[in-house]
Amino acid sequence: MRDNSELITDIYRSIVREVLSDYAGHQWPLIPVLQKTQQRIGYIPPQCVRLISQALGPSPVEIQGVISFYEQLRDTPRGRTVIRTCRGTACHVRGGPEVMIRLRDILQISEGETTADLAYSLESVACVGACGLAPNVLVDDEVHGRMTPQKIEQLLQDREEEEPW
Amino acid sequence: MTPVTFLLNGRRLTAQSDSTILQVARDNDVDIPTLCEHKPLTPHAACRICLVQEQSEGRLLAACATTVAQDMDISTDSDAVLRHRRMTVRLMLASHSASCMVCGKGNRCELRRIASDLGIGTAGLYRMRQPALTLDDNPFISRDPSKCILCGKCIRICQEVVVEEALGYLERGFSTRLATFTDGPLHQSECTFCGACVSACPTGALTEAHPAYGGTGDRTVTTTCPYCGSGCTVDVQVKGDTVVRAVPSDPERPLCVRGSYGLDFIHSPDRLHRPHVRRNGKLQPVGWPEALSFLAGELQQTLDKWGPEAVGVLGSPRGTNEDNYLLQRFARSVLGTNNIDNGSRLYGAPVRQGLMATLGVPETNPDPDHLARSEVILVVGADLPNSAPQLAYAVRRAVKLHGARLILLDPARSRLDRFASLRLRPYFGTDGVLLKSLAEVICREELFDREFITRRTEGFEQFRQAVSDLAPEQANQVTGVPARHITQAARQFAGARQAAVIFGRGITQQPMPSEAVKALANLSMLAAAVWIPGGGIYAVELEANGRGACQMGMLPDMLPGYDRLDHRGIRRGFEEVWGGPIPAERGMAALQMIQAAAEGQLKALYVVGENPFRSYPDPQLVREALDNLQLLVVHDLFFSETASCASVLLPAASFAEKDGTFSSADGRLNRLSRIMEPPGQSLSDWSIILRLAEEMQHPLPFSSLKDIQAEIAEILPELEPLPPPEGSRGERPTAVGSRWPSTRGIARFCIPRLPEVATPSEGYPFTLVVRGSPWGQGTGQRTGRSRQLRTFCSRGVVEVPHRAAGRLHLSEGETVKVVSEHGSLAVQVKLSYSLPDSVVALMAHRKEAPPAALFAFEADPDTGTPLMKTCHVRLERVRHHER
Repeated sequence: MRDNSELITDIYRSIVREVLSDYAGHQWPLIPVLQKTQQRIGYIPPQCVRLISQALGPSPVEIQGVISFYEQLRDTPRGRTVIRTCRGTACHVRGGPEVMIRLRDILQISEGETTADLAYSLESVACVGACGLAPNVLVDDEVHGRMTPQKIEQLLQDREEEEPW
Repeated sequence: MTPVTFLLNGRRLTAQSDSTILQVARDNDVDIPTLCEHKPLTPHAACRICLVQEQSEGRLLAACATTVAQDMDISTDSDAVLRHRRMTVRLMLASHSASCMVCGKGNRCELRRIASDLGIGTAGLYRMRQPALTLDDNPFISRDPSKCILCGKCIRICQEVVVEEALGYLERGFSTRLATFTDGPLHQSECTFCGACVSACPTGALTEAHPAYGGTGDRTVTTTCPYCGSGCTVDVQVKGDTVVRAVPSDPERPLCVRGSYGLDFIHSPDRLHRPHVRRNGKLQPVGWPEALSFLAGELQQTLDKWGPEAVGVLGSPRGTNEDNYLLQRFARSVLGTNNIDNGSRLYGAPVRQGLMATLGVPETNPDPDHLARSEVILVVGADLPNSAPQLAYAVRRAVKLHGARLILLDPARSRLDRFASLRLRPYFGTDGVLLKSLAEVICREELFDREFITRRTEGFEQFRQAVSDLAPEQANQVTGVPARHITQAARQFAGARQAAVIFGRGITQQPMPSEAVKALANLSMLAAAVWIPGGGIYAVELEANGRGACQMGMLPDMLPGYDRLDHRGIRRGFEEVWGGPIPAERGMAALQMIQAAAEGQLKALYVVGENPFRSYPDPQLVREALDNLQLLVVHDLFFSETASCASVLLPAASFAEKDGTFSSADGRLNRLSRIMEPPGQSLSDWSIILRLAEEMQHPLPFSSLKDIQAEIAEILPELEPLPPPEGSRGERPTAVGSRWPSTRGIARFCIPRLPEVATPSEGYPFTLVVRGSPWGQGTGQRTGRSRQLRTFCSRGVVEVPHRAAGRLHLSEGETVKVVSEHGSLAVQVKLSYSLPDSVVALMAHRKEAPPAALFAFEADPDTGTPLMKTCHVRLERVRHHER
């Protein structure tokens, strides 16, 4: 177990080293380094925060403060697929909340969480600009309109069959 | 920066353009309330309480973060200011826990004070949901986020002053809160419980977890912390006769966990209350007159029968200057012996010798604050966060805020590693080789300061010749440090304009310690950094008054002020002041006295506040030596192991129960102020000695502490002036010992000898290193009796690298026998993921696992310092029936 985590730390170390080398000499490298690290790993694990702290100066707890400040930066892993229901007014009145409830039941997680197998994260979004199709659900970057609890269940089933993990 | 003129509440004032409105207001006795301003911290403008109005434009400005400008018209109490200030406070109260009645912060709460100043009783707003109590499992600090006003003082003091970097903000907006890294409890974070955040918190969000008394003390006494040589001034709050809390007197110099939470040892039920005399083999309580007349008789008998050479005196680096001065005067002029030493022998003697040989002074006392100017700081064999917290804070500030480069030279890891730009990890015992090789690079590449060397030093050419045979490649084979790292370190160190050297026990308790000190002084001379602010040589001082005990002449070969005992003229000068002869022969050092006692030559030993049984190597031999004595006199606070062997045991007052002075490592004289009466019949050491001298028909001409201080001032004018009675930090005197060739003198390059590298003997595969910890100090006599420190660190452990533990089938918490060539001890295992595979670490201050048991009774012949830092050991599993 210990050796496994050492392996992971080594991988993180090489990723962070690469990212840092892209920003050598940069005056304010912290945010871009965090973004790039997240791009590579999907989130910013605490080990990476320590490595970045060593290289750039701010303490780990200060960097954690920056990560938690920005919506776009995350310190917990996110699922391979991100499902976001729209909580805009139109979607709300046309059944968005029921879709969310069904999603929570299927995935067994609450909003803002990720399934244990890292397959799905469940989030909500303020408006996707397709109110005419309400209620909307975003699966990754794809908009699915006129959603119902039945349709979302079907959609997830179809995906499972396409990409069995 | 130019002077500007402006109006403050209608008064025309002039100030420099870089001063803030708040500073100007304070300088002119105008009160502006604030909650987030704190002296050493950068302005934060978070609390919005210090709002003032610029009248001509009507703008509201934060006084703490706005500088004054020409023709400003500032009002600190206009209607708009008061309206906004009230609203801000009401908003704070709306999101604040409504538990003022039971809040431990009581009337020390700044929010409550400001609210009542503004006439605000209730918020009158919808209450906001408050975050739940943070679950912390430690005896020191408790966090209550519902009382947090997000002023950020704790975070800034943690990040900017002590630089532990444990606390930070988490999240944003309404959910912003105080958190550790990964949001865990404090004891799993970087936090060392120094208490800086608690002392800065304006509300009850951060408080003592288990205060002796929840409320406010009824008086505050400013005194000096009795633990390490940093000499922190501490405000002790007292309720009745109980110390309820300790906070730093100077917000720029926070305390450490020992100073903040470890002073309650004075209330230990183990305190001695009465003198004891051994009768029929048992220590029996008696009154002072009886104890003293018995003692005087016994001492006189020993002197008559065996002569003064058969008597020895051990003073304490925890005693005051006055105690030590009087004790050595008593020893020299009443007992007539130079068998005088003090506990700083265990780590301090090599510093004196090494510095005398090179710089010509017995001590250096550079100011830790000067590290802010250092370009490079070289820390050698010193675990600063544990042994000298104030220096650790200064080093980390220098690195984090002032861009200094930190070079660590240490086989072991420490909590400074994170701040280092270069870490050299030589094998144990090879530091000397590494230091020599650093000098080789500097000489070969001609990185030294030629002008300085020509004008201020001698012996350079021979030195250069002597180090020329150790190129980094050769050094690499001995030390294991990559040659390029050695070269890099040498270049950085010599290339810096201000390069400071800090060293500790890793140097002074290794074989041939004074040689390593010389090597460090040589390096400092090569970089021309000896006598400049930001340069200099810092020796870690482990005890509160180790410096003072030596300055006062508690040494076998030196008189007060490090004056020469072997110089007839100097001796005569002292004889005139003391009105009697002083023996000329140098006396025995501490370990020699124990040896002599074991061999039967020393018949009486007078021990003031020392515990040789625990602090010296080979407890068995020490025990035999003490048992062998005709007379063992002990002054102590507690019934220590040494005290239990005493023929006469006298109860002494602790730091809290006496007045006096301590000399700190940075050369300051700090005042101790009596906080309360000594318990029972305890007396200060100096008054015990005075009474005893009188009883021996040899009264010393003092009747009060002032008299003693007056004589010290006469003999050591460089210690003057004494600090002000209600003192902040003491004045900085010129270096004591400046009668020796001083800073105007010439430094000498010494060619250091190298100790042989000890190879592990067959059957002892591990190198054991003795480590300090924040939770204890010395042998743990005092820290082990502090309720909170003891709760947090309840047992001794040996740290074993996890791979080695796996091989030996040892698991966490299991008892293991640590065996060296000289002894063994049983102690619990703690797995370590940071130690090298062949190194185990033992904590220094635990009673149940005294490292002394593993070491031979062996001292460095040059300095008399026992070699108690590392030894070779094996680990044996304890079988069930042996447990």
